[in-house]
Amino acid sequence: MNKRGVGRKFAAVVVVAIICFSLSVTSVRAQDVATGTATATVLAALSVIAAQNLIFGNIYQGVAATVANNIDASSGIFNILGQGSAGISISIVLPQFIALANGSDRMTIGFSSTDATVDSNNTTPATVVAGDGWINTNPNNLPAGTVIGAAGQTNIYLGGRVYPSVDQTAGAYSGDIILTVAYNGT
Amino acid sequence: MITKWQNCRIPIKGRHFITGAVIALTLLIGHVKAGVLVAPTVVFMDEHKRTGRITVQNPSDEPKEITIRMSFGLPTSDSLGNVFVNLQDSGITDIKAATSWVKPFPRKMLLEPGATQVIRFVARPPKDLIDGEYWARVVVTSQEGITSLPNPTGEGQISTVLNMIMQTAIMLKYRQGDQIAHVKLNGVDAVHEDTLVSVIVDLSSTGNASYVGMMHCRLFNSDKQEIGYRRFDLAVYHDLKRRVTFPIASYKGGAPYSFELYITPNGRKDIAAEYLIRGNEIEYSMTLP
Repeated sequence: MNKRGVGRKFAAVVVVAIICFSLSVTSVRAQDVATGTATATVLAALSVIAAQNLIFGNIYQGVAATVANNIDASSGIFNILGQGSAGISISIVLPQFIALANGSDRMTIGFSSTDATVDSNNTTPATVVAGDGWINTNPNNLPAGTVIGAAGQTNIYLGGRVYPSVDQTAGAYSGDIILTVAYNGT
Repeated sequence: MITKWQNCRIPIKGRHFITGAVIALTLLIGHVKAGVLVAPTVVFMDEHKRTGRITVQNPSDEPKEITIRMSFGLPTSDSLGNVFVNLQDSGITDIKAATSWVKPFPRKMLLEPGATQVIRFVARPPKDLIDGEYWARVVVTSQEGITSLPNPTGEGQISTVLNMIMQTAIMLKYRQGDQIAHVKLNGVDAVHEDTLVSVIVDLSSTGNASYVGMMHCRLFNSDKQEIGYRRFDLAVYHDLKRRVTFPIASYKGGAPYSFELYITPNGRKDIAAEYLIRGNEIEYSMTLP
Protein backbone atom coordinates (compact mmCIF):
# COMPACT_ATOMS: atom_id res chain seq x y z
CA MET A 1 0.00 0.00 0.00
CA ASN A 2 1.47 3.36 -0.98
CA LYS A 3 1.65 6.37 1.23
CA ARG A 4 -1.32 7.99 -0.55
CA GLY A 5 -3.39 4.90 0.14
CA VAL A 6 -2.37 4.90 3.77
CA GLY A 7 -3.10 8.58 4.00
CA ARG A 8 -6.56 8.06 2.50
CA LYS A 9 -7.24 5.24 4.90
CA PHE A 10 -6.01 7.34 7.81
CA ALA A 11 -8.15 10.23 6.68
CA ALA A 12 -11.14 7.95 6.39
CA VAL A 13 -10.49 6.58 9.87
CA VAL A 14 -10.19 10.12 11.22
CA VAL A 15 -13.44 11.15 9.54
CA VAL A 16 -15.20 8.09 10.90
CA ALA A 17 -13.72 8.77 14.32
CA ILE A 18 -14.88 12.35 14.22
CA ILE A 19 -18.34 11.28 13.16
CA CYS A 20 -18.43 8.64 15.88
CA PHE A 21 -17.16 11.15 18.40
CA SER A 22 -19.72 13.67 17.28
CA LEU A 23 -22.46 11.10 17.54
CA SER A 24 -21.26 10.04 20.94
CA VAL A 25 -21.18 13.64 22.09
CA THR A 26 -24.62 14.16 20.67
CA SER A 27 -25.72 11.02 22.36
CA VAL A 28 -24.23 12.13 25.64
CA ARG A 29 -25.91 15.50 25.32
CA ALA A 30 -29.14 13.82 24.43
CA GLN A 31 -28.78 11.63 27.46
CA ASP A 32 -28.03 14.68 29.55
CA VAL A 33 -31.21 16.26 28.34
CA ALA A 34 -33.16 13.09 28.76
CA THR A 35 -31.96 12.43 32.28
CA GLY A 36 -31.59 16.01 33.48
CA THR A 37 -33.45 16.87 36.61
CA ALA A 38 -36.62 18.77 35.86
CA THR A 39 -38.47 18.82 39.10
CA ALA A 40 -39.89 22.31 38.98
CA THR A 41 -43.44 22.66 40.08
CA VAL A 42 -45.16 25.83 39.11
CA LEU A 43 -46.82 27.27 42.15
CA ALA A 44 -49.78 29.54 42.04
CA ALA A 45 -48.93 33.11 42.87
CA LEU A 46 -51.03 36.04 43.94
CA SER A 47 -50.16 39.67 43.49
CA VAL A 48 -51.96 42.89 44.25
CA ILE A 49 -50.64 46.01 42.61
CA ALA A 50 -51.46 49.63 43.16
CA ALA A 51 -51.14 50.70 39.57
CA GLN A 52 -52.32 54.25 40.23
CA ASN A 53 -53.24 56.31 43.24
CA LEU A 54 -56.53 58.12 43.47
CA ILE A 55 -55.45 61.55 42.31
CA PHE A 56 -57.40 64.66 43.21
CA GLY A 57 -54.65 67.09 42.28
CA ASN A 58 -54.75 70.58 43.73
CA ILE A 59 -57.97 71.49 45.42
CA TYR A 60 -59.32 74.71 46.93
CA GLN A 61 -60.81 75.72 50.24
CA GLY A 62 -64.55 75.26 50.32
CA VAL A 63 -64.70 73.57 46.92
CA ALA A 64 -65.40 69.85 46.91
CA ALA A 65 -63.44 67.85 44.37
CA THR A 66 -64.56 64.64 42.73
CA VAL A 67 -62.71 61.97 40.81
CA ALA A 68 -64.92 59.51 38.96
CA ASN A 69 -64.01 55.83 38.70
CA ASN A 70 -63.78 55.97 34.91
CA ILE A 71 -60.90 58.40 34.43
CA ASP A 72 -57.77 56.75 33.15
CA ALA A 73 -55.48 59.49 34.42
CA SER A 74 -56.82 59.93 37.95
CA SER A 75 -59.01 57.05 39.14
CA GLY A 76 -57.43 54.78 41.70
CA ILE A 77 -56.40 51.52 40.07
CA PHE A 78 -55.61 48.21 41.70
CA ASN A 79 -54.49 45.19 39.66
CA ILE A 80 -54.98 41.69 41.03
CA LEU A 81 -52.94 39.00 39.31
CA GLY A 82 -53.32 35.32 39.92
CA GLN A 83 -54.82 32.09 38.70
CA GLY A 84 -57.28 32.76 35.90
CA SER A 85 -60.96 32.25 36.77
CA ALA A 86 -60.21 31.57 40.44
CA GLY A 87 -62.73 32.94 42.89
CA ILE A 88 -61.46 35.69 45.13
CA SER A 89 -62.74 37.62 48.08
CA ILE A 90 -61.87 41.30 47.93
CA SER A 91 -62.51 44.08 50.38
CA ILE A 92 -61.47 47.70 50.60
CA VAL A 93 -60.98 49.72 53.75
CA LEU A 94 -61.60 53.36 52.93
CA PRO A 95 -60.62 56.38 55.00
CA GLN A 96 -63.19 58.78 56.37
CA PHE A 97 -60.73 61.64 56.35
CA ILE A 98 -57.25 62.50 55.21
CA ALA A 99 -54.86 64.51 57.31
CA LEU A 100 -51.81 66.70 57.25
CA ALA A 101 -48.60 64.91 58.09
CA ASN A 102 -48.36 66.69 61.45
CA GLY A 103 -51.98 65.90 62.24
CA SER A 104 -52.92 69.53 62.75
CA ASP A 105 -55.86 69.44 60.35
CA ARG A 106 -57.89 66.90 58.49
CA MET A 107 -60.31 66.82 55.60
CA THR A 108 -63.38 64.71 54.99
CA ILE A 109 -63.21 62.21 52.15
CA GLY A 110 -66.21 60.26 50.91
CA PHE A 111 -66.98 57.30 48.72
CA SER A 112 -70.44 56.64 47.37
CA SER A 113 -72.10 53.29 46.76
CA THR A 114 -71.19 53.54 43.06
CA ASP A 115 -67.57 54.57 43.30
CA ALA A 116 -65.97 51.22 42.42
CA THR A 117 -65.76 49.17 39.25
CA VAL A 118 -64.57 45.58 39.02
CA ASP A 119 -63.05 44.73 35.67
CA SER A 120 -62.15 41.10 34.96
CA ASN A 121 -61.22 41.73 31.34
CA ASN A 122 -58.25 44.00 31.99
CA THR A 123 -59.47 47.06 30.12
CA THR A 124 -59.12 50.60 31.51
CA PRO A 125 -61.31 52.81 33.70
CA ALA A 126 -62.56 54.69 30.66
CA THR A 127 -63.26 51.70 28.46
CA VAL A 128 -64.64 49.10 30.85
CA VAL A 129 -68.21 48.00 30.12
CA ALA A 130 -70.82 46.06 32.04
CA GLY A 131 -69.83 42.75 30.46
CA ASP A 132 -66.34 43.09 31.91
CA GLY A 133 -67.52 42.81 35.48
CA TRP A 134 -69.42 45.16 37.79
CA ILE A 135 -69.73 48.81 36.85
CA ASN A 136 -70.29 51.45 39.53
CA THR A 137 -70.58 49.10 42.45
CA ASN A 138 -70.23 49.75 46.16
CA PRO A 139 -66.57 49.89 47.28
CA ASN A 140 -67.66 49.08 50.83
CA ASN A 141 -69.35 45.89 49.67
CA LEU A 142 -67.62 44.56 46.59
CA PRO A 143 -69.34 41.73 44.71
CA ALA A 144 -68.97 38.29 46.26
CA GLY A 145 -68.79 36.54 42.91
CA THR A 146 -65.59 38.21 41.82
CA VAL A 147 -63.08 36.05 39.99
CA ILE A 148 -59.65 36.70 38.61
CA GLY A 149 -60.12 37.22 34.88
CA ALA A 150 -59.51 34.35 32.52
CA ALA A 151 -56.27 36.04 31.43
CA GLY A 152 -55.07 36.11 35.04
CA GLN A 153 -55.92 39.68 35.97
CA THR A 154 -58.76 41.65 37.50
CA ASN A 155 -58.69 45.40 38.05
CA ILE A 156 -60.47 47.56 40.59
CA TYR A 157 -61.16 51.18 39.64
CA LEU A 158 -61.98 53.62 42.40
CA GLY A 159 -63.39 57.11 42.49
CA GLY A 160 -64.16 59.42 45.42
CA ARG A 161 -64.51 62.98 46.60
CA VAL A 162 -62.97 65.30 49.14
CA TYR A 163 -64.71 68.10 51.00
CA PRO A 164 -62.26 70.83 52.04
CA SER A 165 -63.78 73.30 54.46
CA VAL A 166 -63.69 77.02 53.81
CA ASP A 167 -60.93 77.39 56.40
CA GLN A 168 -59.05 74.22 55.49
CA THR A 169 -55.37 74.56 56.31
CA ALA A 170 -53.23 74.66 53.20
CA GLY A 171 -50.83 71.76 52.72
CA ALA A 172 -50.51 68.15 51.67
CA TYR A 173 -53.11 65.72 53.03
CA SER A 174 -52.76 61.96 52.97
CA GLY A 175 -54.71 58.86 53.90
CA ASP A 176 -54.68 55.10 53.35
CA ILE A 177 -56.78 52.89 51.12
CA ILE A 178 -56.33 49.20 51.92
CA LEU A 179 -57.29 46.49 49.46
CA THR A 180 -57.30 42.90 50.73
CA VAL A 181 -57.48 39.91 48.43
CA ALA A 182 -57.85 36.22 49.30
CA TYR A 183 -58.61 33.18 47.23
CA ASN A 184 -61.90 31.72 48.41
CA GLY A 185 -61.37 28.29 46.86
CA THR A 186 -58.27 27.18 48.72
CA MET B 1 -76.40 10.92 44.97
CA ILE B 2 -73.17 9.02 45.43
CA THR B 3 -70.86 9.65 48.31
CA LYS B 4 -67.73 7.78 49.08
CA TRP B 5 -65.30 7.96 51.97
CA GLN B 6 -61.66 8.00 51.27
CA ASN B 7 -59.13 8.17 54.04
CA CYS B 8 -55.69 9.34 53.08
CA ARG B 9 -52.53 9.92 55.01
CA ILE B 10 -50.46 12.82 53.92
CA PRO B 11 -47.38 11.68 52.04
CA ILE B 12 -44.23 12.54 53.91
CA LYS B 13 -41.80 12.26 51.06
CA GLY B 14 -41.43 14.70 48.22
CA ARG B 15 -42.56 17.84 49.91
CA HIS B 16 -39.87 20.07 48.54
CA PHE B 17 -40.89 22.52 45.90
CA ILE B 18 -37.63 23.78 44.54
CA THR B 19 -37.87 26.24 41.76
CA GLY B 20 -41.57 26.47 41.21
CA ALA B 21 -42.06 29.74 42.94
CA VAL B 22 -39.25 31.29 41.00
CA ILE B 23 -40.73 30.10 37.72
CA ALA B 24 -44.16 31.34 38.60
CA LEU B 25 -42.80 34.66 39.76
CA THR B 26 -40.64 35.07 36.71
CA LEU B 27 -43.55 34.39 34.42
CA LEU B 28 -45.54 37.07 36.11
CA ILE B 29 -42.85 39.69 36.53
CA GLY B 30 -43.21 40.83 32.96
CA HIS B 31 -46.75 41.93 33.68
CA VAL B 32 -46.14 43.58 37.01
CA LYS B 33 -45.89 47.35 37.05
CA ALA B 34 -45.65 48.05 40.75
CA GLY B 35 -46.52 45.70 43.54
CA VAL B 36 -45.50 42.72 45.54
CA LEU B 37 -45.93 39.13 44.54
CA VAL B 38 -46.54 36.26 46.94
CA ALA B 39 -46.13 32.54 46.21
CA PRO B 40 -47.34 29.94 46.85
CA THR B 41 -50.95 30.71 47.72
CA VAL B 42 -51.25 27.95 50.29
CA VAL B 43 -48.66 26.97 52.91
CA PHE B 44 -48.66 23.39 54.14
CA MET B 45 -47.08 22.27 57.38
CA ASP B 46 -47.47 19.18 59.49
CA GLU B 47 -46.30 17.43 62.63
CA HIS B 48 -43.17 16.18 60.85
CA LYS B 49 -42.33 19.44 59.16
CA ARG B 50 -43.17 22.27 61.46
CA THR B 51 -41.74 24.92 59.25
CA GLY B 52 -43.05 26.49 56.10
CA ARG B 53 -42.14 29.28 53.79
CA ILE B 54 -43.42 31.70 51.23
CA THR B 55 -41.57 33.93 48.84
CA VAL B 56 -42.29 37.62 48.58
CA GLN B 57 -40.87 39.47 45.63
CA ASN B 58 -40.81 43.12 44.71
CA PRO B 59 -40.59 43.35 40.93
CA SER B 60 -41.35 47.06 40.89
CA ASP B 61 -38.96 49.99 40.59
CA GLU B 62 -39.72 51.29 44.07
CA PRO B 63 -38.82 49.90 47.49
CA LYS B 64 -41.73 48.34 49.32
CA GLU B 65 -42.45 48.19 53.00
CA ILE B 66 -43.67 44.70 53.81
CA THR B 67 -45.34 43.47 56.97
CA ILE B 68 -46.44 39.92 57.72
CA ARG B 69 -49.07 39.02 60.25
CA MET B 70 -51.12 35.97 61.13
CA SER B 71 -54.86 36.23 60.92
CA PHE B 72 -57.85 33.93 60.58
CA GLY B 73 -60.46 33.75 57.87
CA LEU B 74 -62.19 30.85 56.18
CA PRO B 75 -64.34 30.91 53.07
CA THR B 76 -67.85 31.32 54.41
CA SER B 77 -71.15 32.27 52.84
CA ASP B 78 -74.36 34.10 53.47
CA SER B 79 -77.85 32.70 52.98
CA LEU B 80 -77.78 33.77 49.33
CA GLY B 81 -74.75 31.62 48.61
CA ASN B 82 -72.28 34.46 48.25
CA VAL B 83 -68.83 33.30 49.30
CA PHE B 84 -66.42 35.62 51.06
CA VAL B 85 -63.46 35.62 53.41
CA ASN B 86 -63.59 37.83 56.49
CA LEU B 87 -60.27 38.27 58.19
CA GLN B 88 -60.30 38.11 61.95
CA ASP B 89 -57.31 39.30 63.92
CA SER B 90 -58.65 38.85 67.46
CA GLY B 91 -61.41 37.10 69.34
CA ILE B 92 -60.88 33.92 67.35
CA THR B 93 -62.93 31.09 68.82
CA ASP B 94 -62.59 28.43 66.14
CA ILE B 95 -60.82 25.43 67.70
CA LYS B 96 -59.15 24.75 64.36
CA ALA B 97 -57.37 28.09 64.39
CA ALA B 98 -53.58 27.90 64.25
CA THR B 99 -53.22 31.64 64.40
CA SER B 100 -51.80 31.80 67.90
CA TRP B 101 -49.10 29.15 67.52
CA VAL B 102 -47.70 29.75 64.06
CA LYS B 103 -45.19 32.58 63.85
CA PRO B 104 -43.73 34.25 60.76
CA PHE B 105 -40.13 35.42 60.45
CA PRO B 106 -39.33 38.14 59.60
CA ARG B 107 -42.42 40.21 60.19
CA LYS B 108 -41.26 43.52 58.79
CA MET B 109 -38.87 44.40 56.02
CA LEU B 110 -38.08 46.91 53.39
CA LEU B 111 -37.86 45.14 50.07
CA GLU B 112 -35.67 46.84 47.52
CA PRO B 113 -36.61 46.86 43.83
CA GLY B 114 -36.12 43.43 42.34
CA ALA B 115 -35.44 41.83 45.72
CA THR B 116 -36.89 38.59 46.97
CA GLN B 117 -37.45 37.67 50.59
CA VAL B 118 -38.30 34.27 52.00
CA ILE B 119 -40.72 34.36 54.91
CA ARG B 120 -40.49 31.36 57.18
CA PHE B 121 -43.14 30.01 59.49
CA VAL B 122 -42.58 28.00 62.61
CA ALA B 123 -45.38 26.06 64.27
CA ARG B 124 -45.42 25.35 67.98
CA PRO B 125 -48.70 23.51 68.38
CA PRO B 126 -50.14 22.49 71.75
CA LYS B 127 -48.95 19.08 72.92
CA ASP B 128 -52.41 17.57 73.06
CA LEU B 129 -53.40 18.58 69.56
CA ILE B 130 -55.90 16.09 68.19
CA ASP B 131 -55.67 14.74 64.67
CA GLY B 132 -56.93 17.08 62.03
CA GLU B 133 -56.13 20.16 60.06
CA TYR B 134 -55.61 23.59 61.58
CA TRP B 135 -55.75 26.88 59.75
CA ALA B 136 -54.52 30.42 59.67
CA ARG B 137 -54.21 33.21 57.16
CA VAL B 138 -50.92 34.79 56.31
CA VAL B 139 -51.53 38.45 55.53
CA VAL B 140 -48.83 40.11 53.50
CA THR B 141 -49.19 43.87 53.51
CA SER B 142 -47.22 46.03 51.14
CA GLN B 143 -47.04 49.72 50.51
CA GLU B 144 -44.64 52.20 49.09
CA GLY B 145 -41.48 52.21 51.15
CA ILE B 146 -40.98 55.90 50.63
CA THR B 147 -44.17 57.87 50.49
CA SER B 148 -43.77 61.28 48.94
CA LEU B 149 -46.42 63.83 49.70
CA PRO B 150 -47.21 66.04 46.73
CA ASN B 151 -46.33 69.66 47.19
CA PRO B 152 -49.14 72.10 46.54
CA THR B 153 -48.28 74.05 43.44
CA GLY B 154 -49.18 77.40 44.93
CA GLU B 155 -49.21 79.11 48.30
CA GLY B 156 -52.40 78.47 50.20
CA GLN B 157 -53.33 75.50 48.02
CA ILE B 158 -54.22 72.02 49.15
CA SER B 159 -52.99 68.74 47.71
CA THR B 160 -53.87 65.16 48.53
CA VAL B 161 -52.41 61.70 48.23
CA LEU B 162 -54.12 58.41 48.93
CA ASN B 163 -51.67 55.67 49.80
CA MET B 164 -52.74 52.45 48.17
CA ILE B 165 -51.96 49.62 50.57
CA MET B 166 -52.18 46.09 49.28
CA GLN B 167 -52.89 42.97 51.31
CA THR B 168 -52.83 39.39 50.15
CA ALA B 169 -54.22 36.82 52.54
CA ILE B 170 -53.07 33.29 51.83
CA MET B 171 -54.09 30.11 53.59
CA LEU B 172 -51.81 28.21 55.95
CA LYS B 173 -52.71 24.63 56.84
CA TYR B 174 -51.12 22.61 59.60
CA ARG B 175 -51.85 18.90 59.59
CA GLN B 176 -51.71 16.62 62.59
CA GLY B 177 -52.05 12.85 62.45
CA ASP B 178 -54.51 11.16 60.11
CA GLN B 179 -56.49 13.31 57.74
CA ILE B 180 -59.96 12.80 56.41
CA ALA B 181 -61.52 15.11 53.85
CA HIS B 182 -65.23 14.60 53.34
CA VAL B 183 -68.00 16.84 52.17
CA LYS B 184 -71.70 16.31 52.63
CA LEU B 185 -74.43 17.70 50.43
CA ASN B 186 -77.13 19.14 52.63
CA GLY B 187 -79.39 20.21 49.83
CA VAL B 188 -79.84 22.09 46.59
CA ASP B 189 -82.27 24.94 46.05
CA ALA B 190 -82.93 25.94 42.48
CA VAL B 191 -85.08 28.79 41.26
CA HIS B 192 -86.07 29.73 37.72
CA GLU B 193 -86.72 33.46 37.45
CA ASP B 194 -87.44 34.78 33.95
CA THR B 195 -83.99 34.95 32.37
CA LEU B 196 -82.00 33.35 35.14
CA VAL B 197 -81.71 30.01 36.83
CA SER B 198 -80.23 30.38 40.26
CA VAL B 199 -79.01 27.40 42.27
CA ILE B 200 -77.74 27.33 45.83
CA VAL B 201 -75.67 24.29 46.78
CA ASP B 202 -75.52 23.69 50.52
CA LEU B 203 -72.42 21.82 51.72
CA SER B 204 -70.81 20.82 55.00
CA SER B 205 -67.40 19.45 55.75
CA THR B 206 -67.63 16.34 57.91
CA GLY B 207 -63.97 15.32 57.88
CA ASN B 208 -61.23 16.57 60.15
CA ALA B 209 -59.54 18.41 57.28
CA SER B 210 -60.78 20.92 54.78
CA TYR B 211 -62.35 19.53 51.63
CA VAL B 212 -60.61 20.93 48.57
CA GLY B 213 -61.74 20.06 45.09
CA MET B 214 -63.78 21.21 42.14
CA MET B 215 -67.49 21.79 41.73
CA HIS B 216 -68.96 21.25 38.27
CA CYS B 217 -72.48 22.46 37.58
CA ARG B 218 -74.49 21.84 34.43
CA LEU B 219 -77.91 23.01 33.33
CA PHE B 220 -79.97 21.15 30.74
CA ASN B 221 -83.13 22.14 28.93
CA SER B 222 -86.18 19.96 28.40
CA ASP B 223 -84.48 18.39 25.37
CA LYS B 224 -81.57 17.30 27.58
CA GLN B 225 -79.24 19.69 25.82
CA GLU B 226 -76.59 21.28 27.99
CA ILE B 227 -77.23 25.01 28.05
CA GLY B 228 -75.00 26.08 30.87
CA TYR B 229 -71.81 24.97 32.57
CA ARG B 230 -69.99 26.44 35.57
CA ARG B 231 -66.88 25.21 37.31
CA PHE B 232 -65.51 26.42 40.63
CA ASP B 233 -62.56 25.80 42.88
CA LEU B 234 -64.14 24.49 46.03
CA ALA B 235 -62.89 24.68 49.61
CA VAL B 236 -65.22 23.65 52.41
CA TYR B 237 -64.00 24.13 55.97
CA HIS B 238 -67.21 24.02 57.96
CA ASP B 239 -70.44 24.97 56.19
CA LEU B 240 -70.67 26.60 52.80
CA LYS B 241 -73.49 27.65 50.53
CA ARG B 242 -72.42 28.28 46.98
CA ARG B 243 -74.63 30.16 44.54
CA VAL B 244 -74.50 29.29 40.87
CA THR B 245 -76.37 31.26 38.22
CA PHE B 246 -77.17 30.45 34.63
CA PRO B 247 -78.46 33.19 32.31
CA ILE B 248 -80.96 31.47 30.02
CA ALA B 249 -82.42 34.31 27.96
CA SER B 250 -80.50 33.43 24.82
CA TYR B 251 -81.01 29.69 24.96
CA LYS B 252 -83.46 27.76 22.88
CA GLY B 253 -85.54 25.08 24.43
CA GLY B 254 -87.29 25.60 27.66
CA ALA B 255 -88.44 24.30 30.95
CA PRO B 256 -88.42 22.09 32.73
CA TYR B 257 -84.73 22.60 33.26
CA SER B 258 -82.58 20.08 35.01
CA PHE B 259 -79.46 20.67 37.06
CA GLU B 260 -76.51 18.37 37.55
CA LEU B 261 -73.87 18.72 40.21
CA TYR B 262 -70.54 16.92 40.38
CA ILE B 263 -68.09 17.53 43.19
CA THR B 264 -64.69 15.92 42.91
CA PRO B 265 -61.30 16.17 44.61
CA ASN B 266 -59.69 15.98 41.17
CA GLY B 267 -58.81 18.79 38.82
CA ARG B 268 -57.04 21.28 41.06
CA LYS B 269 -54.03 22.73 39.30
CA ASP B 270 -53.09 25.30 41.89
CA ILE B 271 -52.14 22.79 44.58
CA ALA B 272 -49.54 20.07 44.14
CA ALA B 273 -51.07 16.59 44.20
CA GLU B 274 -48.95 15.54 47.17
CA TYR B 275 -50.65 18.16 49.31
CA LEU B 276 -54.19 17.28 48.32
CA ILE B 277 -56.16 15.09 50.64
CA ARG B 278 -58.40 13.09 48.39
CA GLY B 279 -61.92 13.37 49.60
CA ASN B 280 -65.19 11.95 48.40
CA GLU B 281 -67.13 12.64 45.24
CA ILE B 282 -70.72 13.76 45.02
CA GLU B 283 -73.06 13.42 42.07
CA TYR B 284 -76.49 14.91 42.21
CA SER B 285 -79.19 15.83 39.73
CA MET B 286 -82.60 17.40 39.95
CA THR B 287 -85.34 18.77 37.75
CA LEU B 288 -86.26 22.33 38.52
CA PRO B 289 -89.81 22.93 39.73
